[in-house]
Amino acid sequence: MKRTALFIALVLAPCILIFVSLFIGRYPIDFSTVLKVFLSYFTSIEVADIDKTVVMDIRLPRVLLGAFVGASLAISGAAFQGLFRNPLVNSGLLGVSSGAGFGAALAIILFNNTLLVYVFAFGFGVLAVVASYLIARTYNTAPTIMLVLGGVIVSSIFSSLISLAKYMADPYDQLPTIVFWLMGSLATARYQDLLYAGAPMLIGIIGLVLMRWHLNILSMGDKEARTLGANTNLMKTLVIGFATLATAGAVCVSGIIGWVGLVIPHIARMIVGNDNRILIPVTISLGASYLVLIDNMARMLTGSEIPLGILTAIVGGPFFVYILKRTKGASW
Amino acid sequence: MSDMDKLMTIKEAAFDYQNKQVFHDINFELHAGEVFCLFGPNGCGKSTLLECLLGLLKLKNGSILLQGKDISLLKPKDIAQQVAYVPQVHKKTFPYKVIDIVLMGRAANTSFFGTPDPTDLEIAEQSLAIVGMDKYRDTPYTMLSGGETQLIMLARALAQQTPIIVMDEPTAHLDFKHELVILENVVKLVKEQGVAIIMATHFPNHAFYFENKGIRTLVALMNNNSFADFGAPSSIISEINMRKTFHIESKLINYPLAVGEHIRQIIPVNTISPVPSYGVE
Repeated sequence: MKRTALFIALVLAPCILIFVSLFIGRYPIDFSTVLKVFLSYFTSIEVADIDKTVVMDIRLPRVLLGAFVGASLAISGAAFQGLFRNPLVNSGLLGVSSGAGFGAALAIILFNNTLLVYVFAFGFGVLAVVASYLIARTYNTAPTIMLVLGGVIVSSIFSSLISLAKYMADPYDQLPTIVFWLMGSLATARYQDLLYAGAPMLIGIIGLVLMRWHLNILSMGDKEARTLGANTNLMKTLVIGFATLATAGAVCVSGIIGWVGLVIPHIARMIVGNDNRILIPVTISLGASYLVLIDNMARMLTGSEIPLGILTAIVGGPFFVYILKRTKGASW
Repeated sequence: MSDMDKLMTIKEAAFDYQNKQVFHDINFELHAGEVFCLFGPNGCGKSTLLECLLGLLKLKNGSILLQGKDISLLKPKDIAQQVAYVPQVHKKTFPYKVIDIVLMGRAANTSFFGTPDPTDLEIAEQSLAIVGMDKYRDTPYTMLSGGETQLIMLARALAQQTPIIVMDEPTAHLDFKHELVILENVVKLVKEQGVAIIMATHFPNHAFYFENKGIRTLVALMNNNSFADFGAPSSIISEINMRKTFHIESKLINYPLAVGEHIRQIIPVNTISPVPSYGVE
């Protein structure tokens, strides 16, 4: 009974938030107008072109992309926490964010073409993870601690390369673009972004959902997982692969948005416990809802947009403290 | 002993680590309903041998056969359907519920992208009941004591429904009572479920305990990289073997518990000062 109610709430929350987001923004559109815009596709109801454009071409893709990005970051964070047996890691552990950041900075300096920024961000994000994995690979396996170290090394190298790119960039034109990209934003979202980045995010999310129970097994550590019958090499590679697809897909369209991949899994743990069979799907719902909510704030709070990466922590931090205090860190 | 009961055969097994010999010339057979105690000083290669038997490490020479099949040709899943493992110490990270931990024993019977089904849950619940921990079904296992955790590990191994369970010093760090609880459970599993147990232990009296309970028990005394002696507890665990292997004086006693029943124990008395072979006072 309680289970069913929770399930319904978790399915409805992102849907309601997505819908509500359509009439939030600088240009005033009320509830009935949004409904009319939707109905105009099926009936002969007439709506103003501007209303249709704002709802369908500007707000809807942005909100959907926000939901996808939030879900991807949160689910990858939860998967990595299980895989690395460490509740303090997040989706950027193996360097995907810093790699993507460098890729984007490089593309901004070299080409100043939006599509190439995506491609480079995605490519370098994946490259960073592959590099971490290769560093960790010894004796045909990749021990967890080596992966963590590999991730630390690769992340710091790419962070330095980002600084180098900033240093070399044209300070009046390219530098601000790089800096804003790194702070994260969904302001430029269009359907094509959803098309390009949606595919890897969707594959990653579906893959992790399918492997959710085996995350429990992997969280027992390599040795025990193998004696339980898990092909740990293959499973680890797949989990890292799916999480990387999801995160790189998210980061390449949204820039670097921290905090979601760390805190959403924790909030989910406090609500439904640590069994990844339930936890993993719940992080999708919470991650999507959270980022849609934060993006609404980013659009609404001030005259100009606030970068998302700033808001996620400023809003999420106190909320996390509240949750921690309320549950008194129960079960940790 | 018929060949049907033969669960595991180890022939001429040898293992090196970075060109340093860990063990060599290991031979034994394991049959259903037996307890095999691996006994020897720290660093003699017990744990490494266990890891080879679990398929975690590959032998340098020789072979390990699981019901006739070479372990090096088996997938982790196939091995896990025949051999389950109870670790010495289990490192807890996430506060999973007890039942979720035991359910993980069903991994070898669950498809790659699958989740356990109601039958698996039933098996897990039965396993938990066998070790008498069913009242903790929904407790976060991080709240359990070391002894209780070890019982959960045993239940998880039981849920794997394997003919063999490998235990690495399962009573290390446990208090008197929980040590007995584990031993009693092992006896129960061997007698009622017909499981075979391979157990590394630092307590020679564990072997006597099983022998006293009427279980077919074998002891391998591991020293100097191989089996120094091998056989029934009463012939292996002797004052002379304690002197040779551990350089200690000990006393073997037979204490009557009831009419026609006695308990055999070996008691360590004192260490023997090393033979002055170094030539320096």
